[in-house]
Amino acid sequence: MIAALQILVDAISLGSLYALATLGVGLVFGVLRLTNFAYGDFITVASYALIVPTAGATEIVIGRWPWPFLVTAAVGVVVIVSMTSEYLVFRPLRTAKPAVLMIGSFALGYIIQNIIILVYDGRPKAVGLWPDLGEAIVLSGLRVPKLELLTIVVTLVLVGALVLFLKVSPFGVQMRAASEDFRMARMLGVRANTVIGTALAISGFLAAVVSLLFLAQVGVMSFNMGVPLMLFAFVATVIGGMGSLTGALIGGYILGFASILLQALLPEDLRTFRDAFVFAVVIVILVVRPQGLLMPRAARERV
Amino acid sequence: MTKPLLQIDDVHVHYGRLAAVRGVSMRVDPGEIVCVVGPNGAGKSTTLLATVGVLSATRGAISIGGFPIAGMAPEKVAQLGISMVPEGRHIFGTLTVEENLRIGTYQRPDQRNVERELKRILDEFPVLAERRGTNAGLLSGGEQQQLAIGRALLTGAKILLVDEPSLGLAPMMIERVYDILTGLRDSRGITLLIVEESAERALDVADRIYVMRRGLVELAGTSSELEDGARLQQAYFGFEGEAEGIR
Amino acid sequence: MMTDRFSIAKCLARNASPLVLCGAVALIVIGTALANDAALDRTVTEALVRIVYVVGLYIFVGNSGVISFGHTAFMAIGAYTTAWQDCCSTTKSLFMPALPNVLLQANVPPPLATIVSGVVASIFAGVVGLAIVRLSGIGASIATFAVLAIVNVTFSNWDSVTAGTSTLVGIPNYTDHWIALLWAVIAIFAAHFYQTSRFGLSLRVSREDEVAAKASGVSIFRQRLIAFVISAFFVGVSGALYAHFLGTISVDAFYIDISLLTLAMLVVGGMNSLSGAVVGVAAISLLIEVLRQSEHGFALGSLTVSAPRGTQEIGLGVAMLVMLIFRRNGIAGNQEIGERLSRFLAPQLQRSSKLTEDF
Repeated sequence: MIAALQILVDAISLGSLYALATLGVGLVFGVLRLTNFAYGDFITVASYALIVPTAGATEIVIGRWPWPFLVTAAVGVVVIVSMTSEYLVFRPLRTAKPAVLMIGSFALGYIIQNIIILVYDGRPKAVGLWPDLGEAIVLSGLRVPKLELLTIVVTLVLVGALVLFLKVSPFGVQMRAASEDFRMARMLGVRANTVIGTALAISGFLAAVVSLLFLAQVGVMSFNMGVPLMLFAFVATVIGGMGSLTGALIGGYILGFASILLQALLPEDLRTFRDAFVFAVVIVILVVRPQGLLMPRAARERV
Repeated sequence: MTKPLLQIDDVHVHYGRLAAVRGVSMRVDPGEIVCVVGPNGAGKSTTLLATVGVLSATRGAISIGGFPIAGMAPEKVAQLGISMVPEGRHIFGTLTVEENLRIGTYQRPDQRNVERELKRILDEFPVLAERRGTNAGLLSGGEQQQLAIGRALLTGAKILLVDEPSLGLAPMMIERVYDILTGLRDSRGITLLIVEESAERALDVADRIYVMRRGLVELAGTSSELEDGARLQQAYFGFEGEAEGIR
Repeated sequence: MMTDRFSIAKCLARNASPLVLCGAVALIVIGTALANDAALDRTVTEALVRIVYVVGLYIFVGNSGVISFGHTAFMAIGAYTTAWQDCCSTTKSLFMPALPNVLLQANVPPPLATIVSGVVASIFAGVVGLAIVRLSGIGASIATFAVLAIVNVTFSNWDSVTAGTSTLVGIPNYTDHWIALLWAVIAIFAAHFYQTSRFGLSLRVSREDEVAAKASGVSIFRQRLIAFVISAFFVGVSGALYAHFLGTISVDAFYIDISLLTLAMLVVGGMNSLSGAVVGVAAISLLIEVLRQSEHGFALGSLTVSAPRGTQEIGLGVAMLVMLIFRRNGIAGNQEIGERLSRFLAPQLQRSSKLTEDF
């Protein structure tokens, strides 16, 4: 019983992390129709913002600041990178086919990754971020690491804020309209660049949060640390239905649960192939139910 | 002669190398209802889309009240008192009726008028008031058409471009929609440029008609001038047929 | 007599593009052979192997319009299939103990092993393609990436058969510039014959307008699958050639870096034409060489000035972005070299020499 609850908490925590990342991917996809292959590198950048390159040992600078400033700085850096990407890459490609945008983001991600290698060198760096969060709270036999609790709470707060923003604020309503029918929204006065900029900023914010939570958990940063998270976010987007934010949220949790379950249930020798199974599931969903598990069939694009 | 509210001068629009509009000129005076008729592929929708900035005119000038707007982004054109209700209506199905109506109001400089005008639209379209909180995707075709019109008006538009308002609607609904449109001109002085597939309906409703075919204006005139149908048919089809004809 | 000359001219005009491309490439190889510079030789041979890959990639991407991020999976399969056939006869059972006895004993001659690798890759593509090829647009691209990820994870973890993440050594060095040239020529002509055939043309129609193609009776699924399989053959062969070139392979070599590199070559050269594929390989290979030299540094007086490590990769990415933004159709635009030359040299043959429609 306890073991099952333990797994449940792990799954919710992992699901929360994936949900945040998936929302970041989904927001940009909704408004830009862009599958942002550079998102993993946006995530990586947030962590690297905490350190400063030196010849010797890693110099942790921003990483030592009190958490409100640390988080703000990390978020700020990613948002700047996001906005710069918008000006230099996404806006010039605004009129291109989605596939071209995808390739462009692929190239962008590659460039960012190699800039990180250039500035920081390619070796992974051990950075202990908020080590006290590794302690666990014990609730009647259940050991819950503080970090997992934090992840779940942060996700709830951010998702709540996002939903409120989208539902209630004029910006949010415009963003939802633009996600559904960009051209029509523009015809009614919705400013394209503002909506896109907002989406990218929020997406960057989420990337930074995901990055910090992930770093606190694994304690090591490397130049491609964000890539697996991004790939899982893509998987969750496909599961939940591309273009749907509710789908993104639920998809993230489904993926989190599936990952933990597979890890627990797969026979020993197949466990390392877990990721292969996950990607195989993506292909199956794309073929059998391309609108995702959650969207109604009518959501398909009509001829 | 009154200054035209909308003036389109020798406009060309290309899709890649294909010329969809090959030198079209039109004018719409304040308070007029002007219809554009013509067969499929004539370039009627393209002309409207170029007017509001969704497509770029490769050549020619477009102006509102004398103010040039060719090449402006659609969201900027929307501030100038002109709004388009596109073919197929393009309602935001995942937003409520009220959210749909409000979309066009956020960028208006005269925010203080918004609530009053919203109330006015809801009064004029009681169906929309009834279903204010419903998701717009659940409305019927005719209701969606009303929503699209109301939504466009709420941008503060003085001139509406309507693309095929009768598409996909039952005859009775079409009557209703046209009543609304003519009512808008009569009670509010809204100017209308309507693309309509049925020349008959156009002759009923319009002050003036342009007939387009293959990217050009073949014929222009008042409805009384074109009433006998022969010239209209010639321009519409490119030949004079023995069949019943358009009337 | 007049008609003979005319029909030879027509034949030349119809096949002008591959002839010109192969001619140019052959000249470069001959020059390299004469130059007798080992480093140059390696660079050119590697570029030729890449031509086989990128032309293979083009056969699918260029004709169907579907961007594949996963073709490197076929390269990996080609490389490992080769290793299973002709690698390290003495140490094979040590590295890859779980291989069936047939393979453990095997010592297939490299030319045959190469062909077999291509075939195995295309069989794999055929199976995978049954699922994937019916997808369009972004879904298809994501699915191809998923295939690459699956192959990567599987090969990395299946140590008993692939030696996992360690490097496999002992593959015979069969690929020299002549072998690579031969395969490049085969690939180029195969791509040309495919795209001018009924199959290739039907597929190209669907690239621009799926609905119109379907309405014209084209079975997009079947045509895409055919292109996918042929394309996988050549990419698989490139994997085999690569293995025979390096003599060693490891799983990591067949993931993101090569995927981006080859995609960059296709994008920069021009996705929609065969000439684009070849020109792209040449252009990017040149760019990389220049950037690599700059990383090594050159002497300025008594100083050595060098670009920081990573310049190659960044330069590659930037080149790709610049192309996408400013000249989306790449260096070649949508045209084939043959068309341009035909129009220039023999305007009276223009009508019959139109190989590809400018969509």
